Amino acid sequence: MTPAHHPEDDVLAAYAAGALDTGFALVVGVHVDGCLRCKARVGLLLEQSGQALRELPRVELAPDALVKTMARLDARPPRSAPVDTRPLIERLPLKPKKWVAPGVWVAAVDTPHAPENRVYVLRVAPGAPTARHAHSGAEFCTVLKGAYRDEVGRFGVGDFAAADADLDHQPVIQGGEECICLFATEGRLKPHGMLGRLAFGFADV
Amino acid sequence: MLNSVDASDERLLALIATGDRAAFAQVFQSYAPRVKSYLMRLGAGAAIAEELAQDTLVSVWRRAASYDVARAKASTWIFVIARNCWIDRLRREKVEIAYRDVFEPPMDETSPSEAAEQSETQELVAAAMQTLSKEQQDVVRLSFFEDKPHSEIAAQLAVPLGTVKSRLRLAMVKLRAHWETLK
Repeated sequence: MTPAHHPEDDVLAAYAAGALDTGFALVVGVHVDGCLRCKARVGLLLEQSGQALRELPRVELAPDALVKTMARLDARPPRSAPVDTRPLIERLPLKPKKWVAPGVWVAAVDTPHAPENRVYVLRVAPGAPTARHAHSGAEFCTVLKGAYRDEVGRFGVGDFAAADADLDHQPVIQGGEECICLFATEGRLKPHGMLGRLAFGFADV
Repeated sequence: MLNSVDASDERLLALIATGDRAAFAQVFQSYAPRVKSYLMRLGAGAAIAEELAQDTLVSVWRRAASYDVARAKASTWIFVIARNCWIDRLRREKVEIAYRDVFEPPMDETSPSEAAEQSETQELVAAAMQTLSKEQQDVVRLSFFEDKPHSEIAAQLAVPLGTVKSRLRLAMVKLRAHWETLK
């Protein structure tokens, strides 16, 4: 099924540029993987980034940079790990599941590279209660299985949702299937300048 | 046919795929200093950016045979290798670095009205900061202005991580309340 909800262009641009916090990048990447539209956009953004790379001012390299690099060309490349073709949901390094409420569990994704991010998988059974909640900061979510509906719309497999302190919502599971979502919170998304970020913090932007 | 600069980059990659070291040196000279520039814009220190720029070019050499001119321009292909080197590094080294916008426009391109707006905002921000305690000002300054991760702020101020978070939370509540009175 084609996702109906996508990241904003500035998020995709930060993702393509490699400028997104790694936890957030993981959630965006899972969406992009399953979304032809966003794959095409990221392709275009990468092309623009390539062009921009050519136009960047040159930063001086170490005097022996070329010699050192040429000396490495004949070394045997490190053997790369075989490609893991399992579905992402099975590949995620999940910590033990924690029971939250009847039918609801949460499991943190082990992300030692991004200790400032909290990345986790939340599972809610059909009919399980969900709480209305607000958000203390930016939160990204991609639906891995099932679907939910909130005030914004219906979110099914592959759909991407971004929430900030402005969003106060009550998701309700749709259909008879459990709903599993991948979240990243707290790590900070910074598409704007310093003032924008401060404003983001206290002006409900 | 291959007369533009771009075309010659594509042709150089094809030559590199045949093991042509002179072609490699040419691509190195043109791209490595810019890859370093890109990585420094992402927040990498000069030494790490230098190392990763060299790694990127080594990867260009190793993977040149898989480059397909029909699928991507040379600049795009090299950019993606550089980007992935950076992301792999973040994963491997477990470093936390302030992420910068790559293409953030420099300050001097700000239009006059934007500049006025910005200085007005700065005054508002300065006034709002005055409503905070010294301790709260410190965490807000380090977190938002200096872009430090919470863990680093905790280390710098020699307080527990939870204290940094709770101070920030309280500061934000106060700042928001102050902001509301201005609306």
